[in-house]
Amino acid sequence: MSEPGAATVDMGVEVAGLRLPTPLIAASGTFGYGDEYREVADYDCIGAISVKGLYLEPREGCPPPRIWETPSGMLNAIGLQEVGIRRFLADKLPAVRALGKIVIANICGSSLEEYGELSRILDQAEGVSAIEVNISCPNVAEGGIEFGCDPDMAARATEVVRRGTRLPVIPKLSPSASDMAAVARRVAEAGADAVSLINTIPAMAVDVETRRPRLANVVGGLSGPAVRPIAVRMVWEVARGGRLPVIGMGGIANAGDALEFLLVGAAAVQIGTMNFVDPGVWRRTYDGLAAYCRRHEVAALRDLTGAMRPGTAG
Amino acid sequence: MTSSTEAAGRPAPSRADLLPRADLAATLVARDQLSPDAQLLRFESEAPLRVLPGQFAMVRVGGGGLLRRPYSYCDLLDDGAFTLLVKEVGVGTRAIMSLPVGAEVSSLGPLGTTFELPPPDRTPVIVAGGVGIAPFVLFCRRLAETGRRGIVLLGGRRRPDLYLRDAFERFGMDVRVATEDGSAGHHGFVTALLDAALADAGQPALYSCGPTGMLLKVAELATAAGVPHQVSIERRMGCGMGCCLGCVVWARSPSGGPEEYLRSCTEGPVFEAETIAWDRDPHPL
Repeated sequence: MSEPGAATVDMGVEVAGLRLPTPLIAASGTFGYGDEYREVADYDCIGAISVKGLYLEPREGCPPPRIWETPSGMLNAIGLQEVGIRRFLADKLPAVRALGKIVIANICGSSLEEYGELSRILDQAEGVSAIEVNISCPNVAEGGIEFGCDPDMAARATEVVRRGTRLPVIPKLSPSASDMAAVARRVAEAGADAVSLINTIPAMAVDVETRRPRLANVVGGLSGPAVRPIAVRMVWEVARGGRLPVIGMGGIANAGDALEFLLVGAAAVQIGTMNFVDPGVWRRTYDGLAAYCRRHEVAALRDLTGAMRPGTAG
Repeated sequence: MTSSTEAAGRPAPSRADLLPRADLAATLVARDQLSPDAQLLRFESEAPLRVLPGQFAMVRVGGGGLLRRPYSYCDLLDDGAFTLLVKEVGVGTRAIMSLPVGAEVSSLGPLGTTFELPPPDRTPVIVAGGVGIAPFVLFCRRLAETGRRGIVLLGGRRRPDLYLRDAFERFGMDVRVATEDGSAGHHGFVTALLDAALADAGQPALYSCGPTGMLLKVAELATAAGVPHQVSIERRMGCGMGCCLGCVVWARSPSGGPEEYLRSCTEGPVFEAETIAWDRDPHPL
């Protein structure tokens, strides 16, 4: 794997037992099944790809309208339209494997049994390096966010996945949980190898002229730069608990944004909504991180994890 | 449902047949104010473009909201410049319409499926409402280059909404117009001109783009008359690359399989009209 533009900086990170050539991971639900952006994104800058959330069976998702732009962000209620695990493994995985990228399968269950079954199937699959467990989708009627808000349910979902696979297990935490650090502690005890956060924030918008909601699902998930300061605070809270490595995400658009997450304790970061805005975000963020390290004489980017200093910036 | 697809001479297009995509800088070089709320914008791309009729670009404009906005390529000029037809509807269109000449945007494209020229024994009949006329300028340019003619039915609320009529006349098209207020051409909806146009065309092939109600009416007439019909359906888009799943249309799958949501950015925007499950989708944009 080439490491463009970073001859003197070690850009590799290790998280959940995965050795990633760069700290940048494509966020589930924003990068398709992995190869859709191959013509326009610089894949050399991508450390891993978390694919669109998978259930056992295909799902048609929510009716449209499904998205709405907000100040510096977007609402979505896609409802996890997806092809199902079997079609993913047969039709989608080969294309992303051919690109030589580390693949993280993101799984969703409407029951504990479904989480268990998905993890057992993925354990036998070739070419999947880790499982991200979506316990926090706001847009599905069953499961989803209910698992993510209750530490006991989050732990139980993690536990059944842990029992089903030897792959690294990464629960994706909901910002709707009242105490995310507590959820992180419980999933750590249940066998998680890392946590990723944040999923989208439940939110809504209304067309005042028609007095109707903007989304057919009424409520959607807010993402993009609008959520970033909230996400940074949440990553900080979970990371300083110190129990598990953290993969941070929330509106990252450039190296400065990614560095905020790293400095408050993230070992790696995901880029999501900004893929839609600018596929050049990968190259720009990667180059910006390498330049920062050179400017600050940091030999290895991973040394920046949790390196926020006491006091204020002044 | 396969009969008219076969008559149109092609299977549903697949992404693999299309041109590579790129995110390129484009400079605004000219603006033509077509009406109080519509402009034809001419851009020069930093690299040559190859675009097929019906394809679109996702354009990022500073101050135009977070997300890119989709615009059909209206015309592609010999020097590699392209035009976009824009009508003001919100923050994104306002931003691109107030760009100073010389300003730069990012243009991601070409995206999506294409209108295909009909086989030589069929005469194209185009039905367009408002800015739905945009993709047909390039379509008619390609048609004229092969010495062929077609019938263009152009509709709008008022006379100023009949954009680019002269362009179609220059390409030698038979242009017929309708306005809802009667200020030009037929007084009423453009679809009222359809029966006569189909009769005049003899062996027609229908193409449509515009408001959902118009598309639905054209699709009904096409089905009743057994005429092949390609339709461009645009929904609010997040990415244009097939990843956000925001722009879906309820449709039968191209393989004739079960109904499912297809992406108007990737399986569309141009669909064989018979693949759209019209009874469940149209929905308002």
